[in-house]
Amino acid sequence: MRKKHGLGVEEEENEINLTPMLDVVFIMLIFFIVTATFIKEAGIQVERPDTVTADTQDDASILIAISASDEIWIDRKKRDPRAVRSVIAQLHAENPKGSIVIQADEESTHETLVIVMEAAKGAGVTNVAIASDDG
Amino acid sequence: MSRHHLDDIHFDEEENEINLTPMLDVVFIMLIFFIVTASFIKEAGIDVNRPDAPVTESKPEDANILIMISANDEIFIDRRLIDPRAVRANIERLHAENPKGSVVIQADMKSSNKMLVEVMDSSRSAGVYSISIADRGN
Repeated sequence: MRKKHGLGVEEEENEINLTPMLDVVFIMLIFFIVTATFIKEAGIQVERPDTVTADTQDDASILIAISASDEIWIDRKKRDPRAVRSVIAQLHAENPKGSIVIQADEESTHETLVIVMEAAKGAGVTNVAIASDDG
Repeated sequence: MSRHHLDDIHFDEEENEINLTPMLDVVFIMLIFFIVTASFIKEAGIDVNRPDAPVTESKPEDANILIMISANDEIFIDRRLIDPRAVRANIERLHAENPKGSVVIQADMKSSNKMLVEVMDSSRSAGVYSISIADRGN
């Protein structure tokens, strides 16, 4: 029973306790799975206007892109302006806390923006933002 | 070499340990994936509807700062043509004269959104965050 103190390093098998680590890892995993919401990409790239006062949109979930030629793209498909409202209503139902971000191209007209904003209002979504290039 | 027929039914009572290494690999990969995608896309944008600002349908009576954007992306304040770079200074001046007024932008349907966003940005730089976009039909 006499163990050598000091210089005698005992070569015990130091096994990591796997059970508590697995517990922690699974809890974290489940947490992130539950809180992750997937953002639906609009489908096209646009040239956003430059700003200096933009805020980061933390809860953006619906992205609507308006191209330079006033095409409305939601969820990777080009949409008819009259169908926008029902599409927004549908996407909003999937994630009620998400906000809408409208990525309007610099050259797009005000008319299309108004159509999209009116559709959003009609679908009951008030949290709307316009995307810009910050800095 | 002669095995009993019964040997086939006899189950080996071995310890069946779950292989932890591959399972840990899978679990960690999934975890890292969700951590990364959970805080990934942050859109930078200008709020059209700020949650703390009251959502008003009709414009209040006190003198608002009215900015008009024509179809050619020209900016008119008080019916005078204003250079886009001077918009901020004008809004600051008008806001100083009337601190309760909010900015109302009346943009032509054919105007570009670039000008609209620029005007909104200038207004926010000038310190006025209460911006409305005028409705055509009223």
